[in-house]
Amino acid sequence: MGLHIKNMIKSFGSNIAVNDISFSMEKPGVFGLIGTNGAGKTTCIRTILGIMSADSGKAEWNEKKISRENLSFGYMPEERGIYMKTKVLEQLVYFGTLRGMSKTDAKKSALDYMERLGVSEYRDVPAEKLSKGNQQKVQLITTLIHNPELIFLDEPFSGLDPVNTNTLNNLIHELVLEKRFVVMSSHQMSTVEEYCEDILMLHKGKSVLQGNLKEIKKGYGHTNLIISCEQDIALYANEAGLELISRRADESEYRITGDEMAQSFLKKLINEGIFPIKYIVKEPSLNEIFIQKVGE
Amino acid sequence: MNDLNQIKTVFGYTFRDAVRKKAFIISTIIIFILILVLTMIPRIINTFEDDNTDNYVGYTCYYIDEKELISGAKETLASSLPGIVIEEGSADKISEYNNLLQENKNLALITITEKDGLPFITITTGDFMSSVPSEMISETLTKVYVTNTLNKLGYNETAIETAQIELPYTMTFTGGMNFSGYTVGILLTMLIFFAIYYYGYGVSMSVATEKTSRVMETLVVSAKPSRILIGKCLGMGAVGLLQFSGIIAFSAICIKALIPEDFLIMGMPISFSAFTIKSALLVLLYFILGYSLYSVMNSVCGASVSKIEDLNSAMMPVMLISLISFYFGYVAAVSGSDGLLTKIAMLLPFSSPFIMPFKLLNGSVATVDIILSIVLLIIFIIIFAYISIRIYSASVLNYGKKQKLWALYKTKL
Repeated sequence: MGLHIKNMIKSFGSNIAVNDISFSMEKPGVFGLIGTNGAGKTTCIRTILGIMSADSGKAEWNEKKISRENLSFGYMPEERGIYMKTKVLEQLVYFGTLRGMSKTDAKKSALDYMERLGVSEYRDVPAEKLSKGNQQKVQLITTLIHNPELIFLDEPFSGLDPVNTNTLNNLIHELVLEKRFVVMSSHQMSTVEEYCEDILMLHKGKSVLQGNLKEIKKGYGHTNLIISCEQDIALYANEAGLELISRRADESEYRITGDEMAQSFLKKLINEGIFPIKYIVKEPSLNEIFIQKVGE
Repeated sequence: MNDLNQIKTVFGYTFRDAVRKKAFIISTIIIFILILVLTMIPRIINTFEDDNTDNYVGYTCYYIDEKELISGAKETLASSLPGIVIEEGSADKISEYNNLLQENKNLALITITEKDGLPFITITTGDFMSSVPSEMISETLTKVYVTNTLNKLGYNETAIETAQIELPYTMTFTGGMNFSGYTVGILLTMLIFFAIYYYGYGVSMSVATEKTSRVMETLVVSAKPSRILIGKCLGMGAVGLLQFSGIIAFSAICIKALIPEDFLIMGMPISFSAFTIKSALLVLLYFILGYSLYSVMNSVCGASVSKIEDLNSAMMPVMLISLISFYFGYVAAVSGSDGLLTKIAMLLPFSSPFIMPFKLLNGSVATVDIILSIVLLIIFIIIFAYISIRIYSASVLNYGKKQKLWALYKTKL
């Protein structure tokens, strides 16, 4: 059951865009496909969905080959594309009927999603008159209108303001609750960290890291210390050999070699009469792991 | 969803989208107005040809016939042209009259002199734009002179009237080519070229717009590129067919309602005898097949560009093929020859949609030629559709470096 990708390869001439990618998604949730621009995320998705033919490898959904003909999947491309001169509802019904829905069902579903995403007032307005955020919501509805079980979202949050990000957040959570399988491609690590239990990190078409995000992080151990004090502790941190990662308005984050280093630093601060307001020892962020893996 | 339903859905959307476009509505209205105006011209000409001399009210003609070469002419002119004042003039005042003519456009001078033993009529006006009825004046004066002469020779009135009768005439043709068929054939050839070019461009533009606006990314998830291409070409073709049929039907109505049955052009009646149901259906078939051939080629042009501004240069090869084929077909058609070049133009799938409608309306085309040209057209459409679908499928999602057509054709789909 679920989504299974085995040894997928796709090349364009001598350029191998997707190089022997394998992964599985056996239960509903959000799977993160991460990588830099040009890492091969979009080609990987297109090849999985059969929009592009793979040189070799298999992409199966519930043990059946994935194709437009035998699976009604949803795909929101990174590059948004809707008919600018056409009224919103009309084009949503068109995309719905193209997905095999009757006009009545497509209209009903379109209106339902428009209501959920707060764009129902634009049903008879040409898309060109909508803001970019609302156009993106329309694009998302074209992806979900036929209520697919398997959904691919390519950079769904790019270009959204905080309000629209929150709306999309809620919708993704709803999709997960509805037991949908969502594959989300992104290079915004914080987004992936928020949603994804499992990830695949692509670099130049190859998988450089994959698995359960918690397990991956656990494997790195405690490498970061976030600390916030009323006094300036920079001198003490320097003496203790802590490497500053970032200094924010009310806290600082340091790289540590392990729990012992964090504990001895805390003792030192207490001995000096400094009591931290915040003291968090944690694994590295996905962003740090990402930079470490693909940043060379 | 099966292939046919998806093609139908794309077809329906493309059709609705195209017929709602301002370009379609405005071009249809303009063409209909043009047809209406053109078919009204014969009636307008007939109206102006009415001998209504009241149109010349306010005109004054000085009449000088010092030697009385045409006796009684002044009175006859006055009665034949009641709107015009005929005044007896004097040869001594000719220069004075000429000055007056330059100042007043409603003045004319009729002078009768002798030349080679016959009266010679000179009608002088201020400039060539004067609308004085010179033909009517000369006809009236000629009739008076002939009547006077025959009277002198002793002929009676009946004989004189008979001698001056103009017999009505018309021209008919034993061959298939007549003036109406020739004119309509040329117009049809041009109309078919325009429609094929315009709607082929529409396909190209529609594909390019969907690709460059990235709508294609959403579309190809739902339907195979081949289905999108077929649906799109059929949709635009149906719009073209609708407009083309509308033009033909409206023209037929206007011709029937507005052109007088006895109207002659250069002595020839207007006849649409060649426009039978069979020839009309064949003309429509050639339009559909011609459009199909060029539209699949144009769709590749649309799919090959990443920016809409590159479309015109991408379309250049197909545009050149269509232009050369049109002129080849057109020249072969109007030449009236049945030589080798005409035969090639009739059979070559690129030019046959332009020449065959003309040939069908102008003379007998051998059935074998019709069948052969249609079969060749269908074979070419199948071959080009196959190649176009492969290239289109490979290029619709290719946004980077422009690839060669051969490389696109060889791409694994």
